[in-house]
Amino acid sequence: MALPLRYNVRSVLIRWRSTLSTIFGIGLVVAVYIMMQSLAVGLEKSSANTGDPRNLLLVRKGSTAETSSQVTREQFKLLQYLPDIEKDEKGEPLISADTLILISLPRKGAAGEANILVRGVSKVGMQLRPQVRLTQGRMFEGGRREVVVSQKLAERFDNLGIGESFKTGGHQLQVVGWFDGNKSAFDSEIWMDSDDARSLFDRENYSSVLLRSDPTQWGALTNRVESDKRLSLSVIPETKYYSNQTATATPIRFLGNFLATAMSVGAIFAAMNTMYASVGARTREVGTLRVLGFRRRAILIGFLLEGAILAFLGGLIGCLLSLPINHYSTGTLNFQTFSEVVFEFNITPHLILKGLVFAVSVGLIGSLMPAIRASRLPVIASLKSL
Amino acid sequence: MSIGGFILRNAVRNKRRALLSILSVAVSLFLLVTLLVGLRELTQPPTDEASAARIVVRNKISLGNLLPRRQRATIEKIPGVAAVTPFTWFGGKFRDEEVMFGQFAIEPKLLLTIFGEAKMPPEQFEAFVNDPTACIIGIKTAEKYGLKLGEFMKLQGTFWPIDLNLKLVGIYADGIDDRNLFFHHRQLDEMPNNTGEVGTWWVKAASLEDVGPVVQTINAAFANTTAAVRAETERAFQLSFISMWGNIKMLVLSICSVVVFTLVLVSASTMSMAVRERFRELAILKAIGFRRRELFAFILAESFGLAAAGAVIGVGGAWGIFNHTDLVASASQNFMVLFEVTPRIMGQACFVATLLGIVASIAPSLSVARMSVVEGLKTLD
Amino acid sequence: MQTNDLSVPLVAENSSEPSIVQIKELSKIYRQGEINVTALNRISLSIARREFLTLMGPSGSGKSTLLHIIAGIDRPTSGHCIVQGVEVTQLSESELADWRNQNVGFVFQTFNLLPVLTAFENVELPLLLTRLTSKQRKKQVLTALELVGLADRTSHLPRQLSGGQEQRVAIARALVTDPQLIVADEPTGNLDSTSAHEVLDILRSLCNDAGKTVIMVTHDPKAAAFGSRNVHLEKGELAP
Repeated sequence: MALPLRYNVRSVLIRWRSTLSTIFGIGLVVAVYIMMQSLAVGLEKSSANTGDPRNLLLVRKGSTAETSSQVTREQFKLLQYLPDIEKDEKGEPLISADTLILISLPRKGAAGEANILVRGVSKVGMQLRPQVRLTQGRMFEGGRREVVVSQKLAERFDNLGIGESFKTGGHQLQVVGWFDGNKSAFDSEIWMDSDDARSLFDRENYSSVLLRSDPTQWGALTNRVESDKRLSLSVIPETKYYSNQTATATPIRFLGNFLATAMSVGAIFAAMNTMYASVGARTREVGTLRVLGFRRRAILIGFLLEGAILAFLGGLIGCLLSLPINHYSTGTLNFQTFSEVVFEFNITPHLILKGLVFAVSVGLIGSLMPAIRASRLPVIASLKSL
Repeated sequence: MSIGGFILRNAVRNKRRALLSILSVAVSLFLLVTLLVGLRELTQPPTDEASAARIVVRNKISLGNLLPRRQRATIEKIPGVAAVTPFTWFGGKFRDEEVMFGQFAIEPKLLLTIFGEAKMPPEQFEAFVNDPTACIIGIKTAEKYGLKLGEFMKLQGTFWPIDLNLKLVGIYADGIDDRNLFFHHRQLDEMPNNTGEVGTWWVKAASLEDVGPVVQTINAAFANTTAAVRAETERAFQLSFISMWGNIKMLVLSICSVVVFTLVLVSASTMSMAVRERFRELAILKAIGFRRRELFAFILAESFGLAAAGAVIGVGGAWGIFNHTDLVASASQNFMVLFEVTPRIMGQACFVATLLGIVASIAPSLSVARMSVVEGLKTLD
Repeated sequence: MQTNDLSVPLVAENSSEPSIVQIKELSKIYRQGEINVTALNRISLSIARREFLTLMGPSGSGKSTLLHIIAGIDRPTSGHCIVQGVEVTQLSESELADWRNQNVGFVFQTFNLLPVLTAFENVELPLLLTRLTSKQRKKQVLTALELVGLADRTSHLPRQLSGGQEQRVAIARALVTDPQLIVADEPTGNLDSTSAHEVLDILRSLCNDAGKTVIMVTHDPKAAAFGSRNVHLEKGELAP
C-alpha cells in the first residue's frame, strides 16, 4: 500500500523555501532544453513546409543545392517539350526555370552582413509555388529592376521596406512588395523577374527548373530526363529537395542535447541535495510511518514521488519560461545554400511533453539515492533523532 | 584547533552534501567554460602573424558569386602586392559523404609564399608543385580517413560540375587549420566548358604598411566592371563569414547567462541548507561569545571553499579535456578543431566562481544575523 | 497483504487465552564500539489481556528496549517474544510492518504526527494500509477521535493543536486499526500535568472499557499509579 499522494505533495510544498531554488533550477534547465529544441524544430519545419507534392525540381547532376546548379537555355528548351508535364488553362506547360543569386546584404542594427538568396522567377514559377502570398504592395514587373521581399526578411535587413531600394552588383533594386512564405524556405528569399535577374547579374544560364507533373508519371519522366545525354540533370521531388536541407538543424540539436545533458547532471545534484536534506530532516517522520506499518517500498516510492513532483513543478515553470519565445523569428546560415535562413522558434505540444518527461526523469534520478536511504532508516529512528 | 581547521571540518562535516555542492558547481563551470570556448571558436577565427598581411578579394555581390580569371594580371601589377593566388572552394563529396574539411584549388608554387606557416617535408612540397593531379592535406584529415601518401582521392563535385581524382603527395601539420585539402587550380581551369572563373583571390602584401593602400587600390580597380570586388584583410573576411551565423552569438551568450544564473541559484540553496543544518551550532558559537562578523567569516570561507573546489574540478577538467585531448575534435567530426581554454576564459570562470562564493553566503549570513541565541538553541532539526 | 476485518470496531474481545504477551529468556546486547552493552538480560515476563502494565526504571535499565521488542520495532539478540500467539522475533521486515499495522498501536513521547497532515488524515494513515473503503475509514477515524475527545478538531494541523491534543490525536491514530495491544513510550513526558492526566485517563479507559492491553514506559511514579501492574527494570533485569 502506498502513502497518500497528498502527503507527498504537501511535504514538497511545506519546504518551499529550500525547494524553490531546486524547482527553479530544474525549470531553467527545462527552459533551455525546450528553447534549443524548438529552434531545431522551427528550422526543420521551415524546410519541411516547403514544396508542392505535385512538383519536380531539376538540377545539374551532382549538385546538391539550387545555388550550385546550372541549367542551360538549350536544356530548358528541350525540357519544355517533355510529355507528362501538366498544362494550365491556356494549354501552356507548367514549367519554369529559376535563376538563383546569392547577394550579401547588411543586417539591421549594424550586425554584419549575410548572404540572401535572390530568386529570379517567372509567372509560371509563382503559379507553381502557391504557398507564397503577397501581403503588401504589388508584384514586381519585368524589366524595371523591381523585387518583392519576404516580410520576415524585411524585418531583419536594412533597406527592404516597400518603396526602399538597395544596391547590389552595381544596380539599384526597388522593393515594391512584401510576401509571406507561410513558414517555408521562401520566407528567406527575395524574388524578382527571371530575365531581369539573368541580365543584371550577368548569368547566361538558369539555376534550376521546376515543373508540375502527375506523380504517377514521375517514373517515366525521370527516366526520360536522366537518360538524355544532352540534359545531364537529376530529378528530385520538390518536397524531398527541401526536406534534405534540414542538416543545418543538426548542430543546433547537438548543442541542445549537449547542454541539456550537462545541465541535467547539475540539476540532478541539486535535486539530490534537496531530497537528502528532506530525508534528513524527516528521519523521525519516516520512522513513525514505519511504526504505523508502512513498508520500506512505500517509503521509497513516496520519496521518489516527491522528487518527481518537485521536478514536475520545475518542468512546468520551464515550459512557462520558454513559451514567450514561441514564434520569435531568427536567422542563421544554411550550409547547403550558403545563405541566411529565417525561421521561427516552434514550441510544439510534443516538445512540452518531452520537456516535462525530461524534468520528471531528472527528479526521479535525483531522488533515487535519498529515497533508498529513507527506506533504509531503522524503524527505531522515530524514537531517537532528537 | 585553529579557526581554519574549524572551517574545514565544518565544510566537510556532511561529506555527501559537500561533495554534491562541489560537483554541481564543477559541472556548471565546466559547461560555462565549454560554451565560452565554443563561442570563441565560432567568433574568433584562428589567426597568425602572417594573416595580418593577407588580403582576401571576393565578388562584391556575395561570396557565392565568382570572379573572372583576367583580374589576376591587374592585381599583380598593383604596387605593394607580393603574390596573388586564386583560391577556390571546391566543396566536393568524399567517399559519398558531405565532408567537413575544406577543399581548395590554389596555385601550388605560391602556397608557401602566401601561407607560410604549415610544416611539410620539402620533397613532398616539390612533388605537389610538379604534379598537376596532386594534392596535399592536413594531418587531421589524413588521420581521420587513414590516408597514406601515394593514395588517390576521388572528390565528387557538387558546386563544380567535375569529379576529381587526386594523388595524395603531401601531408602538412602545424598550419592554422590542419584539415584542409589543396590542389592545383589548373584542374578547374582545364575543365570542359570552363568559363574561366575563380572563387576568390588571396593576396600577400609586401609589408604590413602596404595592406591598407593595396585594399583600396584593388577595390577601386574593379569598381565599375561587371565583376566589382570587395577586398578586405583576412581577419575582416573571417569576421564577415562568422557574421553569417546570425544570432548564434546572442544565443550562446544568453545560454551562458542562464547557466550562470542556475548555478548561483543551486549553489546558494545548497549553502543555505548546509548552514541551516547547524543553526544550533552557530547559536552555541554565538553564546560562547563569537561575534556576528566572525560567524559571517565562517560562512563566507566555507562558501568560498566549496566554490573554489568546484572551480578547480570544473575549469581544470575542461582545461585538461579540451587542451590535452582531441575529444571535442573527434566528437564534432573535426567541426571544432581548436577548442582551447584560454587564460582569459579561465579568468572569467574563476570570476564567476568567486561571485558565486559571495552570493551563496548572503542568504545564510542574513538568517544567522537575525537568529537569536535562545531560538537557535531550541532549533532541533 | 492480509485483510483487516474491522466490522466490530473498538469493542473488547472475549478470549480464553490468559496472556497476550509471553516473553521468555529475552536478551538484547548492543555493541557500542569495542564494548558489549547488555540492555536486557534473559528476561521472562507474561502480560495478561486487559492489563495496564507500566514499565519503570532508571535510564538505561532496558525498559524502552523491551517495549520496542514487544512492539516489533527492534529485535532481540536471543529469546522469545510471543504476542497473541505470534513469534514476533521470527517475522521478516515486511511481515513485521503488516503485523505492527494490525496488532500494535504506538504512542510516542514526541507525538510524531506528520506535520503536513490534518488530525483526521494523521489518524486515517494506518487505515490506508487496509482494504476499507473511504466511507468505512471515515467512520472509524471519527469514532477514534471521539474516543479521545477531539471530534471537533478533525481538520486542524498538528501545529494548530496543543501538546495534549496532539498526544490525543496520536492515541487515536494508535487505536484506529483496533489493535489489541497499545504501547506507549513516555506518553506524558512532554506534557503538562493537566494534559498528562487527560492522556492517562484515556489510556486507562482503553484498558477498562475497550478491553485493550496497554504497556506504558514511564519514569513518573504518578503516571505509573494509573497502571494495574507495575514492573521495575534495573540493569536489564526485572527488579523484585
